[in-house]
Amino acid sequence: MNLSVSLPLRQGGQLTLRNPVMTASGTFGYGTEYAKLVDVERLGAVVSKATTLRPREGNPQPRIAETPSGMLNTIGLQNIGVRALVKEKAPIWARWSVPVIVNVAGESVDEYARIAEILEGTPGVAGLELNISCPNVSAGKIPFGVDKNAAAAVTAAVRSVSSLPIITKLTPNVTDVVEIAEAVVDAGADAVSLINTLLGMAIDVRTRRPVLSTVTGGLSGPAVRPVALRMVYQVAKAVEVPVIGIGGISCAEDALQFLMAGATAVEVGTASFANPMAAIEIVDGLERFMLQEGVDDISEIIGVAQ
Amino acid sequence: MRHVTVEVLANVEIMPGVFLLRLDAPEIVEHARSGQFLHVHSGWALDPLLRRPLSLHRIGRERSARVAGTSEIGGGQPSLVFGRPNPGEIEILFARVGRGTTLLAQSMPGDALSVIGPLGNGFSIEPKTRNLLLVAGGLGIAPLVALADEAIRREMTVTLLAGARSKDGILPAGLLPPEVEYVVCTDDGSQGRHGVVTQLVPELLDWADQVFACGPRAMIEALACLRLPTSKTVQVSLEERMACGVGACLGCVTPTRKGLQRVCRDGPVFNLKELQLL
Repeated sequence: MNLSVSLPLRQGGQLTLRNPVMTASGTFGYGTEYAKLVDVERLGAVVSKATTLRPREGNPQPRIAETPSGMLNTIGLQNIGVRALVKEKAPIWARWSVPVIVNVAGESVDEYARIAEILEGTPGVAGLELNISCPNVSAGKIPFGVDKNAAAAVTAAVRSVSSLPIITKLTPNVTDVVEIAEAVVDAGADAVSLINTLLGMAIDVRTRRPVLSTVTGGLSGPAVRPVALRMVYQVAKAVEVPVIGIGGISCAEDALQFLMAGATAVEVGTASFANPMAAIEIVDGLERFMLQEGVDDISEIIGVAQ
Repeated sequence: MRHVTVEVLANVEIMPGVFLLRLDAPEIVEHARSGQFLHVHSGWALDPLLRRPLSLHRIGRERSARVAGTSEIGGGQPSLVFGRPNPGEIEILFARVGRGTTLLAQSMPGDALSVIGPLGNGFSIEPKTRNLLLVAGGLGIAPLVALADEAIRREMTVTLLAGARSKDGILPAGLLPPEVEYVVCTDDGSQGRHGVVTQLVPELLDWADQVFACGPRAMIEALACLRLPTSKTVQVSLEERMACGVGACLGCVTPTRKGLQRVCRDGPVFNLKELQLL
């Protein structure tokens, strides 16, 4: 039985994952936080917390609010910055056999390229996921991911300086996600991942104020899964490059829906908060499904629902 | 840190809306310290999604030589005897405030709960300490009782100041180890002294070698305003909304002199002097 999947790369070669189950950025830290509870080596890949050029403090409290079958967050990209990541985290990853994809967030096109330059050639870094879709930063500014030209510009700028696999992560907070996906693929993305969180909010009726310090935040968890699945289905139909499905995946059946919709791999995010073993249990569940259904290679089911 | 399924041994409403939950959790007890917490899932469904961080209220270690602090509670239902938990057992004290704790309040003996723990750093008693002053606001008493148990086991003297809005929020004295000097005050004067708990702290400062506190932000801020002598360390256990509980999501950070710190992993116990309170 073969669970491994490959992401073919523009410049030749491929990124091979031992199984299609990855962790989603921001929900698994740097992979080290969960190490006592989860055997990271059983994952297809780990996607790190977003890194910016300089360290970021993030947003004030309250940063999270629970919602029906989900949660809102406004962490605001708190992170140690790319230089500390290279110095402190990458050496740990270099000892792992599981590939670690670094999620990258910039405030300008140049900053994305600058971060990619710093990460270039760093042992332990297997790829880049371009976060052009975080809804919780630069209040008043529009994320790159909602404009096809800006999204393409970020992808092209990183492409021009990086030899690493590039996955551009898309936001659902747009009218036509396919148009954005096509633009970043044209600009040189090796793959696209979607969806990032949906913009949402909650109000505390006792205080009569928004719960989150930034008023709005990103909605994630099982509540967003049908929206994510629809968008993955649409994008997988339209683009030639691999699609990585993200959004409310918490069990093997959820993951199978995304694979059948056309995703080559999936990322498990918020589910890890409720069950740190969620991603590993999904790997086991995929194996069980293949055994029961007589599927020899996971690639046989990718996109079958298209 | 373990991720295990534990059995509910008892769950009793000991004060209006406040529950004492006893769990059979030997894997947790083995590594547990007072001031640490469990990340508890209220059910097996995806809604509510997140776990609830709940302090270790009592940690069952050695079998006590005598039946200490035993009392009968739980009026209408089959009467349950609570004392020190047996070895391998954990007690959690929690209030029914939202959907998650409402579900947890419905747990019955024999139910299984998914818990991650013990999490966080815990309290630390310094080697020379003899006298501990514990300051509790409302359910902030939860982690301080585990600390009192530990201190008494080590033959130290403990004074516990407990404040609440009214007598309905005061933990019955019979549920505490009898060696604890228990001083109660309420905002409305319905039990014990009339007023806030922090007013009682100054008169005990000379006596106390160390101060430990847990309660609402307003109480922590009042404590910080007391201008305690720098020779006394004050350890404060903080509460914050959490998602992961293990330091990954950065949902629960609090500002300190060392920058933002994670309540779940760097805390929940912080030195009061390190905190940057608003």
